[in-house]
Amino acid sequence: MEADFTSQIREKARELLEKGTVECVIGYETGSDGVSARPSFIYNPSEVERLVFDNTCSHNLVKYLLDKKGKPTAIVVKGCDSRALNLLLSEKQLQRDQIFIIGVVCPGVVEWGWNRRSEQFQKRCDLCRQHTPLVYDLLIGTPVTEEPPPEFTDIAEMSARATEERASFWREQAERCLRCYACRQACPGCYCIDCFVEQLDPEWVGIRIATGENLMWNTIRAFHLAGRCIACNECERVCPVNLPLSLLNRKLEEEMLELFDYRAGMSEDATAPLITFIKEEKLGIGE
Amino acid sequence: MSRIGVFICHCGTNIGGVVNVPEVVEAARHMPLVAFADENKYTCSEVGQSSIRNAIAEHKLDRVVIASCSPRMHENTFRRTVTAAGINPYLLEMANLREHCSWVHSDARDATSKAIDLVRMAVSKVARHEALFPKQIGLTKRALVIGGGVTGIQAALDIAASGHEVVLVEKEPSIGGRMAQLDKTFPTLDCSACILTPKMVDVAQHPKITLLSYSEIVDVRGFVGNFEVDILRKAKLVDYEKCTGCGLCWQACPEKIPSEFNLGLGHRTAIYIPFAQAVPNKPVIDIANCRYENYRRWKETEEGEEPPQCRICEGVCPTEAIDRTQQDEIITEKFGAIVVTTGFKTFDYSVYGEYGGGRYPNVITSLQLERLMSAAGPTEGEVLRPSDGTHPKSVVFIQCVGSRDDKVNRPYCSKVCCMYTAKHAIMLKEHDPEVQCYVFYIDIRAGGKDFEEFARRAQDETGALYLRGRVSQIYQQGDKLMVLGEDSLMGRPVEITADLVVLATGMEPSENAAEIAQTLNISYNTYNFLIEAHPKLRPVETQTDGIFVAGAAVGPRDIPECVAHGSAAAVKAVALLSQDSLTTDPLISVVDPMKCVGCFACKEVCPFNAIEEQVTRDGRTISSINESVCKGCGLCVVACRPGAINLRGFTNQQLLSEVLTLVGR
Ligand SMILES: Cc1cc2nc3c(=O)[nH]c(=O)nc-3n(C[C@H](O)[C@H](O)[C@H](O)COP(=O)(O)OP(=O)(O)OC[C@H]3O[C@@H](n4cnc5c(N)ncnc54)[C@H](O)[C@@H]3O)c2cc1C
Ligand code: SF4
Ligand code: SF4
Ligand code: SF4
Repeated sequence: MEADFTSQIREKARELLEKGTVECVIGYETGSDGVSARPSFIYNPSEVERLVFDNTCSHNLVKYLLDKKGKPTAIVVKGCDSRALNLLLSEKQLQRDQIFIIGVVCPGVVEWGWNRRSEQFQKRCDLCRQHTPLVYDLLIGTPVTEEPPPEFTDIAEMSARATEERASFWREQAERCLRCYACRQACPGCYCIDCFVEQLDPEWVGIRIATGENLMWNTIRAFHLAGRCIACNECERVCPVNLPLSLLNRKLEEEMLELFDYRAGMSEDATAPLITFIKEEKLGIGE
Repeated sequence: MSRIGVFICHCGTNIGGVVNVPEVVEAARHMPLVAFADENKYTCSEVGQSSIRNAIAEHKLDRVVIASCSPRMHENTFRRTVTAAGINPYLLEMANLREHCSWVHSDARDATSKAIDLVRMAVSKVARHEALFPKQIGLTKRALVIGGGVTGIQAALDIAASGHEVVLVEKEPSIGGRMAQLDKTFPTLDCSACILTPKMVDVAQHPKITLLSYSEIVDVRGFVGNFEVDILRKAKLVDYEKCTGCGLCWQACPEKIPSEFNLGLGHRTAIYIPFAQAVPNKPVIDIANCRYENYRRWKETEEGEEPPQCRICEGVCPTEAIDRTQQDEIITEKFGAIVVTTGFKTFDYSVYGEYGGGRYPNVITSLQLERLMSAAGPTEGEVLRPSDGTHPKSVVFIQCVGSRDDKVNRPYCSKVCCMYTAKHAIMLKEHDPEVQCYVFYIDIRAGGKDFEEFARRAQDETGALYLRGRVSQIYQQGDKLMVLGEDSLMGRPVEITADLVVLATGMEPSENAAEIAQTLNISYNTYNFLIEAHPKLRPVETQTDGIFVAGAAVGPRDIPECVAHGSAAAVKAVALLSQDSLTTDPLISVVDPMKCVGCFACKEVCPFNAIEEQVTRDGRTISSINESVCKGCGLCVVACRPGAINLRGFTNQQLLSEVLTLVGR
């Protein structure tokens, strides 16, 4: 199947580049370790053979489209990535007619590292409810009927703990944060030119690395993704100190579902609940 | 380095009775950048204000904190005070030691330490204030009135009387609205047409008024003083330049259609004026029903039976005014102010199965009765039963049909029905002394000048039997209607044999009220009545500057109220149009183009449509705030993730410095 996906992607990429439909194809290629995939940018039809698709293709490539504004580009997206496309389309960051979407029905990606590839699916794949892309121009693979797994069991466990216990848990996590901002760099929803965390006037968050400031950073970033996080979990994957960031993001996702019956990135013309006001909505205050 | 002056007010004993003012003054003297601090018995008094002016001069102060009452109370006063002493009015900050402190705390020590904190925060904020300057923008000295009922007519006439140009847009072929359909009007029983027609003619003849009948609003852009409105002018197929209104065409037209104006009780022709006194007194061709237009449509496909090629109107018109080439047309006009007077329609009672749901010809609405009583109506003023044209002798009125009834989602009172039903009882008795009227009511609401007397007259002088209770069922028996109800005062069921039943259907907003409101960006309630800026103090303004509302479009109202509100809206519009330029408040939001990423979350949340798109020199589409539209509510500031929007006078920097001061950093 992997070989088949790869050849279909290459074929389409060649056609698009030869015809000049797009300037660049963003996909995956095998990294220098010869084992795991890395993002690939193909400009020349003669180079399409570099493209691959396998179960280490975990990067959400959609973020790279932000650097291609105004240039026709093709992109390989998995189901989860396609929600990021919708998010960025709805937030007017991308133009649909500039993008050729090669959607791949994703069989799931595995845990991998430098020169290492396990057989175990990543956590997000266990929770995945979007194997088939929502938006595409070409679909590779046969669409699957999703059987959504129970999503929030770990969140429920966390919520069940005493407030103090939770506070100290998060303080411990924040203590480990390096403030490298890798999470933000990987996140498709984090495309601000001037992220709040780097602003000096006003200085929203102190720039020094200290537990309180780190907590503030992680919390505000989570809030900036409330109703916008599309659950690709790239932040958690790239965090060098393995902070459990998805616990924050998915807690907010659960709230969004409960309060507004809303999931981010499901359609390209959705309006996020936090920027709309509908009288019938639950306020979630004092309930 | 700034030199900040701090002035603490005792407000008599309002503040001084709880807060230790001298202690606050002493603390203020040691705050960063404070060059002077003092106290006043009453800062707002002339003595207090002059002491501030003197201190500014003497101590070369360049920023001021006044710690006294709520800024809602005296901010403007104190802005003038510091301006008089040469300081920009926005370099003033107020700390509220009264509402936020002394009035809500009793412990002097705690209140004093909170007062010191409040002053400290204000000092740190004012240190980051910038001088701000209002801007002047131009305006179009022209008003648009939407809806030509009595309210719109009054508003148009009053605005025109002030010398400003008015365009009155009416969707029907004639102005007049519902009042033109009425026979007599309570409580004085003067003839509706007699008092309305002269006003309608005034509209037609006024040199400052342009009447666009058979027209509707399709789009509104812009902002106060500078609206741009697209108006749809529906094709009339009659050239009004040539037409003299002689009436030969509508007398000759063979096509008969139920008359909307007479609520289906009579007929009109396909080329028609809705009623004899119509303004403009020139006809339109009802394109859907005109025989020749049907033929023209048929000609396009030639499918089905060929309709007759009538064109009789064209044959009889002495001025060749019929113009089949006319098309719907959209024109764009500029206005400085807009008055919305789109009026009301009556509740559709067919949802009440118990009243026959529209099946019984002799169950009619009060508005239909008005047409039957009108000398210009389909029966020339004789009240005749629709079923057989006989004179009814026993008439049952049912009030609150579609009013005060949660079942049909109309919990509100329509206000005029008690009165017009009393009017109908009186008038029917005048028409025919043998008539016996019965009125089912919930309460008699007759609040208004001479109203109670009038309602009494119906009960006392006409012998009308007022029964308190609801009607549970009406059914047909032979050519009579059986009305089953309840007399709740006597606590017994009643059954009345009636010749005619009249339903006092309630008032609700016109068909497309919500649509119009959305186009204009003004609010409307769950029933689609338009919402005023303040129900008591700003009854004809809306939350959108330059747009005013009046008449029955805002809520159930009778004619005197509608006229008063029409005039009120006119005064507000004139007050706006009389200015040579508009001053904008500088306390509004601004976008930092370097931080904005163009996600337009701000645009979604802005309740005033102040956010526009703008393309930067490097080709990015970013947000830009229209200074004349922004109200400085600050919603966009919160919605903006990277903090690209700042509200002047309440900038992120200013607010954050207050917070940091409070937490001691
Ligand atoms: C049966 C009955 C009897 C009554 N008797 C009395 C009485 O005796 N005394 C009394 O004081 N009051 C009486 N009233 C109340 C009176 O009719 C109203 O107070 C009055 O007509 C309201 O005037 P208006 O101009 O606000 O609305 P309307 O008369 O409804 O006029 C609104 C106008 O706006 C036009 N319009 C609507 N939408 C648009 C649009 N989108 N674009 C352009 N034009 C539009 C309509 O065609 C209409 O011409 C009675 C009401 C009823 C139902
Ligand atoms: S959470 Fe992880 S990825 Fe994000 S800044 Fe901290 S250390 Fe870096
Ligand atoms: S954390 Fe917030 S401000 Fe920073 S890039 Fe992400 S969304 Fe923008
Ligand atoms: S401050 Fe309020 S009115 Fe002004 S642009 Fe922002 S949201 Fe709109």
